[in-house]
Amino acid sequence: MSLNAKRLWGVTLLGLAGILAVYFVAGPARFWLNWVLWFVFLLTLALGSLFMVALEHLVSSRWSVPIRRIPERLSTLLLPLVPVGMIALGAVPVLYPGARPEALANKLLAGKAFWLGLPFFSLRVALCFLAWLLALSVLVRGSLRQDESRDPQFNVRARRFAPLAMVFFGLGITVVAFDWISGLEPEWYSDIFGIYLFAGAFLSALSGTLLMVLHLQGRGRLPEVRRDHLYNLGGFIFAFTVFWSYIGFAQYMLMWYADLPEEVVWYQKRTQGGWLAVVILMGLLHFVIPFFALLTRDAKQAGRRLHWVAWSMLAAHLLDLYWLIFPVLMPNPVLSWPELSFALFFLGGAFLWVHRVRELGADLPVGDAFLKQGLEFRL
Amino acid sequence: MNSEKRQTMGPAAVLGLFDSADALLHAIPKVREGKLGRLETYTPYPIHGLDEALQLRRSPLAGMVVVMAFLGAIVALAMQGWMSAVDYPVITGGKAPFSWQAFVPIMFELMVLFATFTAGLGMLFLLNRLPFFGHPVLSSRAIRGITRDRFALSVEAEGGSLDPEAATALLSAAGAKDIEVLSLPARAEILDSAFILRALGGIVVACVVAGGLMFAAIKLFPVLPPMSHMQEQAKLNPYKPSTFFKDGHGMQYPVPGTVARGYLPMGPRTPEEANGLVNPLPRTRENLERGREAYTNRCAVCHGPLGDGVPTLTAAYNAKPANFVSEEFRKAPDGRYYWAIVMGKNAMPSQAADMPEEDRWAAIHYVRVLQRAQNAKDSDLEETKP
Repeated sequence: MSLNAKRLWGVTLLGLAGILAVYFVAGPARFWLNWVLWFVFLLTLALGSLFMVALEHLVSSRWSVPIRRIPERLSTLLLPLVPVGMIALGAVPVLYPGARPEALANKLLAGKAFWLGLPFFSLRVALCFLAWLLALSVLVRGSLRQDESRDPQFNVRARRFAPLAMVFFGLGITVVAFDWISGLEPEWYSDIFGIYLFAGAFLSALSGTLLMVLHLQGRGRLPEVRRDHLYNLGGFIFAFTVFWSYIGFAQYMLMWYADLPEEVVWYQKRTQGGWLAVVILMGLLHFVIPFFALLTRDAKQAGRRLHWVAWSMLAAHLLDLYWLIFPVLMPNPVLSWPELSFALFFLGGAFLWVHRVRELGADLPVGDAFLKQGLEFRL
Repeated sequence: MNSEKRQTMGPAAVLGLFDSADALLHAIPKVREGKLGRLETYTPYPIHGLDEALQLRRSPLAGMVVVMAFLGAIVALAMQGWMSAVDYPVITGGKAPFSWQAFVPIMFELMVLFATFTAGLGMLFLLNRLPFFGHPVLSSRAIRGITRDRFALSVEAEGGSLDPEAATALLSAAGAKDIEVLSLPARAEILDSAFILRALGGIVVACVVAGGLMFAAIKLFPVLPPMSHMQEQAKLNPYKPSTFFKDGHGMQYPVPGTVARGYLPMGPRTPEEANGLVNPLPRTRENLERGREAYTNRCAVCHGPLGDGVPTLTAAYNAKPANFVSEEFRKAPDGRYYWAIVMGKNAMPSQAADMPEEDRWAAIHYVRVLQRAQNAKDSDLEETKP
């Protein structure tokens, strides 16, 4: 399927009509569940990409310079996500018990009322977006400008800024995880939860980057990116599927062992009824299949295999978020026209954006003095 | 070592040196065409493209590691499953004996352990042929150059035969300098008696040193500051002072009125009041068994296993234990026994601290059994007649 802007506009507008119908026909709760799901999904993709860019500057990595433009382009998804996030605040009074007036009657929530309430919730969202946009401006806009200016000072500035960007990222993604996902059930808490979301975010950013590299290579662009670079991306995906399952299982096992009522209900909800099938599917899609698919050395360099693994990785991340968010209101998994409308709208919109930013700057960061070293990278 | 032995082997390799990695890479295809033997390179640092140029086969190590890793996981699962669900099932934390969630960390550990051992030992013993310490290159003139700034290509004997003249000609045609013919040190000479003695001596010395260090560590470590937490715990010790309580004692008196479980205080205040007590325990088989145990443990030493006041100890002391089977005691009310158990009588100390409430009454039941056994009526026998 070719990325055709006209077709994508059609899909997006169709989805828009669908989601408006969802609000009025299926009800606001269903609407906001879907909205939060897609907001967090795209946000983790954008933030993970920003993390990849910041990581490269932080550790002065050279091998990834030739592919840096790809996560830079993907991280610009943060811009359209600002209005999406603002609209998502509408979900707070509907879905988030901590922000409702009844919360004050609940002894457990009354103490957290200030934190969970809409004013401070909105303030956190705004502060997070400001910090991320600052990082985007320094790291990505600076890198795009370097294409013309060839100013080596950018690398120095980026490396100095990268630690701060990491703090923005680390605190930000923890806040996203706590506010938007575990805030749905504020009695439940897990301090590892931010890291769990980070694993998914980094995986989806790696997969998105890999897909875009393969897509561009399919059109004869980025011929300089070698199998060695693909191998590293594949290796990262391999490593982080293990990391994701490690974190996910660590969280599960501690709660399973301790068996505390306010903790286990969260898992009970998510392993009963049809959700058990979702858990199994997620275990396969998020860990077992990619693990074995990428186990050998050759598999991590084979474009075809990386291609489908990256797609299934993105799907698995979406499924993961679906499993985190939807059981709050749904005793069984639902997949009907509301969900499909949202998929059309957000996928259409996201592809539309990616289609636009595909031409953002040169394919390689040509102004970066370390590009030559990156191109010479061999395993 | 015997130097004559060293020369008995035929030529193992012909080795030539190159001045640059590029020259080495270019020479490899030319030498390979001669098909004189296995090609090997020795370089001061890793060079990209060497594996491809040498057409090396992929190492079998990865496959071995995968197989052993999964074997490790399966062993861990089987071991834990057998131990906690079959051999010694103990319910822990209300979980089922076979709880796979609890097994996963150990499965992960053993998987990693098996994998790393396979990788390390497999590399050393299978692929690097570890017990064989020698290598022809080690005794070559070229070794100095190889470890510094030169790049060696060697044609090595495959299946025992190598034509040194042809290999030399081929290498020099490919541009190699300082060509030398190397022979393999004999395998056996490593394991001569002197070596074995030295090795054994080394092992003994290592064991003694390690044992001494370990002894010192075990003796010293627990009291050295970072390891001494087991000895210095933030807790109260009995008979030690403590600043935690106002009176400065670590051990505190029980709150006034505290009653230990099973040791309810006695109601009556005088022996006469006690005489009115009725044995609250039903006269069931279990209670009689319990009474026999309590009586045998606490009473029979003095009152005798039959209750007749004939102690099992020799009568070396001057007390005269009561004879329960006598007329007087057969008519005595249960409360009289009870009072004596709790308060003591003459030379007999109180048994209250050692006999919980129910044991006291059960023992009294048993005394009644003994009395009846010593004073059986004819009718008792009637009932047992076939």
